[in-house]
Order: sequence, then structure tokens, then C-alpha cells
Amino acid sequence: MSELTTKYLRAEKARGTSCRGCGLRPAHHKVLEAIDRSGLTLADIVWGTGIGCSGRQTYATWKGDTFAGTHGRVYAMATGLRLALPPEKKIILTVGDGDAYTIGLQHLLNCARRNVGVTVVVLDNLGYQSTGGQYSITTPEGSVTDSSPRGTWEQNWAGQGLDVLNIVKEAGATFIARHTVLEGDAPVSSIAQALQNPGFSLVQIVYPCVSHFGVQTLGTRSVPEVYKWFESYPLSTGILWNSIGSRPEFSEAFRQQNNNIKNRKQDV
Amino acid sequence: MKRIFETGNAAICEGAILAGCRLFAGYPITPATEIAENMSRRLPEEDGFYLQAEDEIAALHICNGASLGGLKAMTATSGPGYILFADAFGWALSSEIPVVIVNSQRVGPVSGITGAPGQGEFYLSRYLAHGGNYETIVLAPASVQEAFLLTVRAFYLAERFRTPVTILADQMVTDGWETLLLPETAEDIEEMDLIFYDRQVHPGPDFYPPTDDIDIPPVVLGHNTGGACSDWTPTLKGHDTEDIELHHQHAWRLIHKILNHRELIDDAEEWEVDDAEIILVAYGTPSRVVKSAVSEGRLQGLRIGGIRLISLWPFQDKLFQRKASYLVVELNWDGQLVREVERAARANSVHFWGRCGELPTVKELLLTTQQILEGKTISREAWKTVRWSHV
Amino acid sequence: MSERIEFLCSGFGGQGVIRTGQIAGQAAVEAGLHTSMLISHGTETRGGYVRSQVIISDDPIASPVVEHPNYFLALSQAAWDRFGGLCQPFSCVLHNPEKVAIPENADVQKFAIQAEQEAARRFGDPLFANTLWVGIFSALLGPLITEAHFEKVIRMRTTRNIEENVAAFYHGRALFESRWRSYKP
Repeated sequence: MSELTTKYLRAEKARGTSCRGCGLRPAHHKVLEAIDRSGLTLADIVWGTGIGCSGRQTYATWKGDTFAGTHGRVYAMATGLRLALPPEKKIILTVGDGDAYTIGLQHLLNCARRNVGVTVVVLDNLGYQSTGGQYSITTPEGSVTDSSPRGTWEQNWAGQGLDVLNIVKEAGATFIARHTVLEGDAPVSSIAQALQNPGFSLVQIVYPCVSHFGVQTLGTRSVPEVYKWFESYPLSTGILWNSIGSRPEFSEAFRQQNNNIKNRKQDV
Repeated sequence: MKRIFETGNAAICEGAILAGCRLFAGYPITPATEIAENMSRRLPEEDGFYLQAEDEIAALHICNGASLGGLKAMTATSGPGYILFADAFGWALSSEIPVVIVNSQRVGPVSGITGAPGQGEFYLSRYLAHGGNYETIVLAPASVQEAFLLTVRAFYLAERFRTPVTILADQMVTDGWETLLLPETAEDIEEMDLIFYDRQVHPGPDFYPPTDDIDIPPVVLGHNTGGACSDWTPTLKGHDTEDIELHHQHAWRLIHKILNHRELIDDAEEWEVDDAEIILVAYGTPSRVVKSAVSEGRLQGLRIGGIRLISLWPFQDKLFQRKASYLVVELNWDGQLVREVERAARANSVHFWGRCGELPTVKELLLTTQQILEGKTISREAWKTVRWSHV
Repeated sequence: MSERIEFLCSGFGGQGVIRTGQIAGQAAVEAGLHTSMLISHGTETRGGYVRSQVIISDDPIASPVVEHPNYFLALSQAAWDRFGGLCQPFSCVLHNPEKVAIPENADVQKFAIQAEQEAARRFGDPLFANTLWVGIFSALLGPLITEAHFEKVIRMRTTRNIEENVAAFYHGRALFESRWRSYKP
């Protein structure tokens, strides 16, 4: 076990649930690296997860306080939780592409609009993989999956044409980054920046699913072959939007607002 | 004691705030909108939070998140919003996190009629979460004063049982205006028998033990207890599992923590039941017409009694063991409570009087009572009440 | 008093049906009585009538339904047509005969005043008619709820033209005195 694993993860859950050769575990560990680099301890973070590969991999791995929400709703839960927690506590949410961009988009966008102090890490495996490999909003165009036997034909939001992160930006997120799991330190650095944002941050980390996407779409379960394809998969990566500090964080603004109401009442 | 003329909506808000509710998230919907409006005015005065959620799905999830962080929280809605609570209700139920839900029932199905009373969610309030394997607590106020009292009690029970508690009201309770007494001093609180339960913090890191015990604090995050909770079947540590034995333990806890302490929940009012040949049964506003019908019927020499359910779930079978006919009065046409009464009353004959949008009158109920006592089939214009008309 | 008093008020949306019920109900609370008021909206507001059903009693109130109104303020023809059938010989029906026609043979006690015209003439706006009706209703009720209770509540529940409303209330009482002084319930 690595030092980070011992430091941050529950021993009995540390191995995770991801398949052999999957990028999910390395992506998960990039979050841990960013936490470590930021000098944060178990007591500083409450960790929430959604459902799917990302949820199963990350739920209750965190040795500190942790929860899992219903599919797509964890952003709404985090909005309530944020108001209950002291401002210095950080909330990290590890979720999948389906959770964030389809079933939970409404709640994700409203969380961004309010600039709720959370760091959403979208662990994007290019489709619905925990249910056996169906296409999602981030599946590459034309992909053969279990639910697109003749190839996907609907417009996606994968970033080659329409990009869901533009919607998240317009909704009011104050920090947005996208990386692939192959980018080494860059995702770690972005997550660390996100953790410094008092408001709403989203960092998407893309990795290809070997077991389903590899087999159904690429016709191979060979990890090197899947990653060879992935290296040339066109994605705009890096920090896509940074307006940290441009708007007040939700819970702080809320408390300020309540104070103003009380002061006004006293004046009267 | 403060004595005012107020709506059930306002009474619910005052009850919630007195019980320590500091977060309300909701989405406006007739006839529960005034609860949101009142909370938006009142909560900031108490350092609390009022949020207008993007939808009812978010509303209850926001409440769940807040409760998970240690705040007492409430939401309120009516039928079309209530159905959207299903997801979050199941989460709170299975994760065993306290929260209070108000449903002011209107006329359905679906959007139906907005500003008239119905009672179409009797079973939905019991089975709002999918998957079964649980019991749940549902309370039904019949007046403005009781809306206040039961809201206080709902928060109390939610904390002790670590579970969502539903207040199943109707449009007439929430929109109706009535004399409302509000406590102003500690003596007033004692006189009203109000009891409160502060939020406790589960020590963690293990999850709730596999017992039927209540008063085990719920998981509260942010105290670095290593607490873990989710909607998945939990291990003893609260981790997700597919182990069916652990699931049995979880389901047993969810069911028996409620059933084995139901003396804290069960509540009903009975009128003149001891020698009654026929007992009228209702909850919510219609039960008040039943009460008047019992008084009036007794004056006319009928051996009539009445039962008003104050707690609906878990269902109080024991109330229906008398040898008598039962006439169940509901604000719906399909008969919901009557099915449960028929199950509980077993060999006795059970009849149904239903309508929605408008309360029954005393006259109508006594006419139906007469018909039953004379062995006639209950019949109403244009309706053949086949299913529930047998004597 | 061991009997209950049932007051029904019905009319179009915007005529002050709910407010009139609120004033009656709250005045009863001020007088130390029990009171309940059911209000209906939704389809009913769209269907041409709004209704408030007020029960006043010195005992806790069981049924909140007006089955046989002691007092029925009918502010529209639709209101009378819909609820007139609930009335009994003892029912006092308050109406403006110009707007709400009640059949000659209806076995009820009629209290007819051209309230809108009277309000417009005295106070410059027919909208004061319903406060005028509250005055007549309060006089009919007798000493159970005092005029001071009503006045307090009118001041509490009125945001604009408070003095005119109070004056309209007392004018209603005066009209009752001048026309029906000898009425005995």
C-alpha cells in the first residue's frame, strides 16, 4: 500500500472495485495527491460520492467522514450539507459522467449557480460502464456500445462540438478543469487549485473503460491498445475557466444575508 | 400563551421552528406554498436557512444534506411534488437520517385540482420509497392547533427513531384558519405537553448496530468521527455491501426499531365506541365531521361511534377489533384507508364513504349510517360502490 | 352558548370573501371564542365563486362545515344559486338585491341593502361594501362579539384606508339599527 493509501484510505476498502487496468483507481489517487499537496487532513474534508463505477470505487474509502447520495442528487445534498458545516470544512464529491451531466445536471447547475463551496471531481469513463456499457453524454460519436449496436448517432456533449463544461461555466462555476488520467501532475495541480476555491469547482478526469468501452467500441480488452487509442482521442484539457473569488461562496453569502436581515430588523 | 387566528400552514412553521428546524428547502405548490412563504420570512430571524430548490427532488435532498450535517430540516409540498420526494425519502429512510416532510393533500390523480382537499396519498405515504423492507411514521393532523402539535412531535420522533417523519395533512388543515395557541413560556410548553429532542451525534466510525434500539444518534458528518452512510445496504461499518445476511440485519433494524417502539407513535381518538353497532373511521379534516355525526347520531338514538386516526403508519390494527360495522370516510373515490381497515377488522363488515374536493356533511354520514344499520346497500347517485358496499 | 354559529360568505374572487371571513373569525378569537374557517380556492375561484365557511362556538369545533348557515353573505348570484339550498328558515341572508336576486318564496330571513351603491355614495368606492356588510353581520350577532373586537380586527387586517373601513363598519351597524332595530333572532 502506498503512503497516501495508508494515510487517507480505510484499509478494508482501499483496493477499490475497479477492473484490472482501469484508470479509475489512478484518477482516485490523483484526488488524494492533491489533498496531500494542499496539506489537508482527514478532519478537513467530508467526502461524498454518487453511484456507478466512481461511486463504488470511492465510497467509504475515505477514512474521514463520508457519504453516498442517490444517483445525480449529491449536488443538492451538498448544498444542504454546506450550510450545516463550518466554512473551513471542504466537501469533495467524486461522481461519474452520467451522475453529473445527465441524471444530475439540473442539480449540478444549480449548485454551480449558487457557487456552493464544493469540489466536484467527475470521473468520466466515457459511458455507463457499471451497468455493462451503454453510451452516455460523453461517449465518442459513432461508438458501438451495448445500447448503440449500430454506433451512437445522437449529438453528445463530449467536447468535440458541444461541451457540457460550457453549460457548467454559464451556470456559474468559478473553477473548471478537464484532464485525462494520462496527464501526470496536471490533474493533481488542478484539483489542488479547486480545493483552494471557496466556491464551486468542477474537475473532470477522463479515462477509458477497458472492460466495456474497450471490448464493445474498440474491439479489444488489451490495456495498452485501449490507451493507445485514448492518447489520440481529441479533448481540450487544462484549466478551462478560473474566476475564483469573483462571486461570494453560497453559505457565506447566506449567513451575511441573514445577518443583514437581523440588523435591519434591529434598526427598525 | 399566545392566542391567535391563523392557518395550518403558519402553525406548521411555528411548530417546526420551536422544535429546532433551521433549514427549509421547498418548491412552491398549492396548497403548501404558504409554508414556504412563512419559512422564508421566519427562518432568517432564527439564523436559519430558507432555500427555494430547483425542484422537489432537490428540496428533500437539500434537507437530507443539511440533516447529515446536523441541522434539523423540513420540506413541504402537495401531491405532484410529493411523488418527486420518493428518491430522497428512500435515502433518508435507509441511511436513517431524521427529516420532516409535510404533504398537504389535494385532489388527484396527478395535478388534479389544486385548491381543494383530497386524501389520495394514504398508501403512498407508507410506500413512497421503492424496495420495501421498511416501516415508516406518518402523522395526520385534523386542525390548525394539531398541525402545530404534530409538527413538534414529528421532529421529536424523527430524532429518536433516526428516520423521516411524514405529516400527511390536507388542504383544509393547511389553508384553513382557526384559533391557535402558541406557547410563550416554559410553563406553556409544559402545559401543552411539548417534548423536544436535540440532535445527537453518532460517535462513529461504526454504523448503527443491528438492534431495534432507538435513541442511537444519527450519523452527523463534519465532526471527524469517520462516520459513513449511504443508500446502499450497509455493513456494520456503514460500507456498501451485497451481502444478503447483512441486508437482513439492515431490514430488521429498519422495521423493528419502529414496530418495537410503536407505543411512542400510536395515537388515535375514539368516540362512543364501547357499545357502538357502527363505528365511523377517518383521519384529517373529515374526521371532524365524523365527530359531529357521532354526537348528532347519539342524540337521534343511534349506536354510533367514531375513530380518528392521528398516527396513520404504522397502522393501528388493534383499534379495529371490536365487533361492529365500520364505515370508513375518506376524501377519495377509490378507497384507501378502507382497505387497511378491512384487513385489520377481519370478520367485521366494512363500508366506504368517499368523495374528494369537498367534505362530507353530517347529514350525509348519518344517512349512510342508517342505510348500513338497516342492511341496505349504500348507494349514491351515479355511483355504484360495488367494491365496498357489501354488508 | 352551547350551539354553534355558522357563517357562510361567498362571492367572486376579489370581492373580499376571504378577508370578510378572516375578520369574522378573528373577531371571534378576540372575544375568547373558538372559531374555524375553511377557505376554498382553485376551481371554485375559477368557477365564479369563492367561499369561506366560518364556525363560531364557545366549545372546540368538531365539523368545520357550514351545513345550515345562521348567516349567509351572498355577494354574487352564483353564490346564492350554489349555496342558497343550505339555508333554513332561521338563516339570515345578507344580499344586495340589485346584484343577487333571492326568490320571493325563499323561506329565509332577508337583509337586503344596496351595499355597493351605499359604499360608493358614502365612502367614494363600492369596495367598502364588504366592510359595511361586516357591520351588519356584527349587529345581527348581537353582544356575543363586541363592536370593539370587530374594530380592532378591522384595523389589524386592513392595510389601506383603515379609517374609511372602520367608518364603513360603523355605518353598517347604523344601517342595521335604522332598518331592523326590532329584529329578534
